[in-house]
Amino acid sequence: MSQRITRAQIPLEEMTIVPGSACQGCGAALASRLTFKALGPNVIRHGIPCCPDAVTKHPRAGAVFEGGGASLTGTARGLKAIGRTDIKAVGFFGDGGVYDIGFQGLSAAAERNENILVICKDNEAYMNTGNQRSSGTPKYAETSTNPIGPRSRGKETQKKNVPMIFAAHYVPYIATASVAFPEDLIAKVKYARDLEGFRMIIIQSPCPVGWNFDSAKTIEVARTGVQSGMWPLYEIENGTSFKLNYKPKELKPVVEYLKPQRRFRHMTEAEVNEIQTYVAERWQKLVKADEVHQVII
Amino acid sequence: MIEIRLHGRGGQGAVTASRILATAAYEEGKYSQAIPMYGTERRGAPLVAYVRIDEKRVRERELVHTPDYSLCMDTLLGMQQAVADNVKPGGVVLLNTPKNPEESELAGNIKIATVDATSIALETLGRPITNTAILGAFVKVTGVLKVESINKAILKYYPGRVGEMNIAAVKKSYELVKGPVQAKNKEAPQVKADLYVDGYGVLKDVSSWRVFTPKIDESKCTGCKTCWIFCPENALEWGEDKKPHMVSRVCKGCGLCANECPVKAIEMVRVEI
Amino acid sequence: MSYEVMVGNKACATGVKLARVKVASAFPITPQTTITEYLSDMYAAGEFDFDFVNVEGELTSQVVVQAATAVGARSFTCTSGPGLLYMHHPMQETASKRLPLVMAVVHRGVKGMQPDHSDLMSQQWQGWIHMYVENAQEILDTCVMAYKIAEDKRIRLPVAFGYDGYVLSYTAEPVEIPAQEEIDKFLPPYKPMPSILPGEADPATFARGFGDADPQKPWKIHHEAALMAETVIKEVFADWAKRFGRSYGNGMIEPYRIDDAEAVITAMGTIAGSAMSAVDKLRADGKKVGLVKIRSFLPFPRTDFREIAKKIGAFGIIDRSCQPGMGGPTWHQMRSTLYDQPGPQILGFYAGLGGKEVRVDDIVKIGEKTLKAARGEKVEPLVDWV
Repeated sequence: MSQRITRAQIPLEEMTIVPGSACQGCGAALASRLTFKALGPNVIRHGIPCCPDAVTKHPRAGAVFEGGGASLTGTARGLKAIGRTDIKAVGFFGDGGVYDIGFQGLSAAAERNENILVICKDNEAYMNTGNQRSSGTPKYAETSTNPIGPRSRGKETQKKNVPMIFAAHYVPYIATASVAFPEDLIAKVKYARDLEGFRMIIIQSPCPVGWNFDSAKTIEVARTGVQSGMWPLYEIENGTSFKLNYKPKELKPVVEYLKPQRRFRHMTEAEVNEIQTYVAERWQKLVKADEVHQVII
Repeated sequence: MIEIRLHGRGGQGAVTASRILATAAYEEGKYSQAIPMYGTERRGAPLVAYVRIDEKRVRERELVHTPDYSLCMDTLLGMQQAVADNVKPGGVVLLNTPKNPEESELAGNIKIATVDATSIALETLGRPITNTAILGAFVKVTGVLKVESINKAILKYYPGRVGEMNIAAVKKSYELVKGPVQAKNKEAPQVKADLYVDGYGVLKDVSSWRVFTPKIDESKCTGCKTCWIFCPENALEWGEDKKPHMVSRVCKGCGLCANECPVKAIEMVRVEI
Repeated sequence: MSYEVMVGNKACATGVKLARVKVASAFPITPQTTITEYLSDMYAAGEFDFDFVNVEGELTSQVVVQAATAVGARSFTCTSGPGLLYMHHPMQETASKRLPLVMAVVHRGVKGMQPDHSDLMSQQWQGWIHMYVENAQEILDTCVMAYKIAEDKRIRLPVAFGYDGYVLSYTAEPVEIPAQEEIDKFLPPYKPMPSILPGEADPATFARGFGDADPQKPWKIHHEAALMAETVIKEVFADWAKRFGRSYGNGMIEPYRIDDAEAVITAMGTIAGSAMSAVDKLRADGKKVGLVKIRSFLPFPRTDFREIAKKIGAFGIIDRSCQPGMGGPTWHQMRSTLYDQPGPQILGFYAGLGGKEVRVDDIVKIGEKTLKAARGEKVEPLVDWV
């Protein structure tokens, strides 16, 4: 599991070339800045279609939207073939390319335990094309393809549980992270960087435009997400060892997370309670797993 | 044929404004076309839209390269010469600003008109969304369309009470617009700001995105690094003096740093125009 | 130098080995499947130093070898029919990114499982170089030469070479296997251009850039590089002929008994082999018909055909594919090539689509009809189904 670090231990060196073309207050831009700060140089950064977030000082490789897992595989195998396993093949992809269109290729790469690091900046919709729903969109969130009306209450189903799905491939390391907890995020990225095999970190990256909140509140929203149990922070190794990184005595009520985001403004009290129950039940499972340091997948 | 260019920022409704104009033209029995200039529009990033109005169906699809009129919805953007570029000789540039037309530095053989659309919008709509507020001023200074047509078009996009409020904004700007007067500067200075966002890449300078700018009170600052670590753009450099220093060309004015500072040492202040 | 009686797919795998490919990846699909098995056997046995990546689909296999090539490892993939269509999306990027990948397409028509050229023909727009191969020896030789062509810094484009499924992929023929040391002298190690390794990559490439001032420019450059391939192909094939004593015409085309021909038929793939026998039969009968086996379809051998056209009365173009609503691709290319140069009649023949057997006698009839046209007789229809 990753070693905890303090703020003072966060490296000062920046790997980002600025300014980028992200929106004001972009959570994904911060996720990129922190991730690549933790990774340092000697990385080939893979990208597939998604929001521009930030540009970093790394040579780039890219592929078609559905090819994230495949291009990382090719780079990792190619680097091995030319004797350069010191260079890390890292993908920085959105939820579209990880949860949906790129899911197959990543699942296959995980099954083969390719020596790749996949970082997903999860902003919970296809943001680059204008906020269309993805399988990472939470239930009841309004998106441009799940608008609110007499026939629709927003996204109909719960968010796909991608961290657990990839953990069920029994790969060396899966973790969740949040831009509001930079020390935790950086510790996890650093740890993952030096492991062999398939590693994946999913970073919740709030989007002020798509989630519809004031750009100054991005970190607040991310923090409340973790503190309410909506976005639990944990690590899983080899599909068995489990560690819950953030364990408050009491979770904040989910309404504190939902209320500031206008994508949830239509929710009724009953719907909020539904989400509260869902989160509470899931939290109990995670707490139990943490007690025994194990998940059963 | 009349050609119009609209300037604004992503999220300000410039594209809707272009469609309202096109709709208003059709209401008057004219033909029209509204083209948004899609780049990667990010919230706060400058963008452009074009409108053509003609007595017969508009067939051409190229962008508007020499507009008869240019209209800028954003006060800060309206200070950049690009807003007046390639306007036909004698054309009118309408700016959203509390200043008088005589005070504008925009150069060329153009006429300048101004209206404080932001204040009008705040008054009539309660929000600083200027896309409809500026249209009243537009029809007054150009005579291109009738106010009644604009109002009809507005109701198609904003029905009911919201529509009525927007119509009130139109009426006010129609009454309060100043000018047009001949631009006082004949020639523009050589330096041009990076106004257009076109495709992905690294921008040179995003300081024009700021409507509010962070002001750091170093006496209150405890050097906790919170603002530094949370800035998505890395616009706060961490100094040897253990204090953050804002890099103007990188800061987009999102306000995250001020919101997160645990001792409230950062204040977001309105950018002076 | 040794030899083995081997099937076409094995000749392909052997070519991959001789070319010292470092990363291969493929997904099995009939009639390509056994290539994946041969390569897997070679990997397991440690027969040569490479990595074989078993993937979950063809699209992934294209992206894997595309990425491996970009990072600096010579790579290979192969597929057939629908598998090629599945790769359509990333296949375009391999060419746009100017990556010298080589891919074998074991022809399987898109409407069934039997061979025709609709699979590779449907990918004409992808910006690759397209070759068509007629026998097992040619498969091995072309596979190795393809890397030299692709990696030539004047073109740096991927090469796809197609050969017919079943009749060639699974038919055994004697194949000479050149010595590895001789191949090494012919084909130097691969260096990526540009390098994307940290420390070597140009920092100007880190950002995605705002796009060219002229968005048409990338297409122009790509088009010119593809046309340039003709020069490189001729050089590489001439070099091979000198070193290994085997020539395939000039690499673009392989003429057979055209010197005093009145009519010339053209064909690609295994049909061209049968066509040689057909030409022998016609000649024995006193009919002056020759054959041009088209090897490079893209770029199309315009220069060669403009020369040949000066001396003959008619072409009989055999297409093993038909673009619905448009017609035969080779027939169209030939007519376009010769438009400014009035001369021979250009007849079209659809043969072998859907795997339909094309017999020597069928081609004899094609030769006879073309000869009639060459002599000024009226022949109808202009394009026919065999």
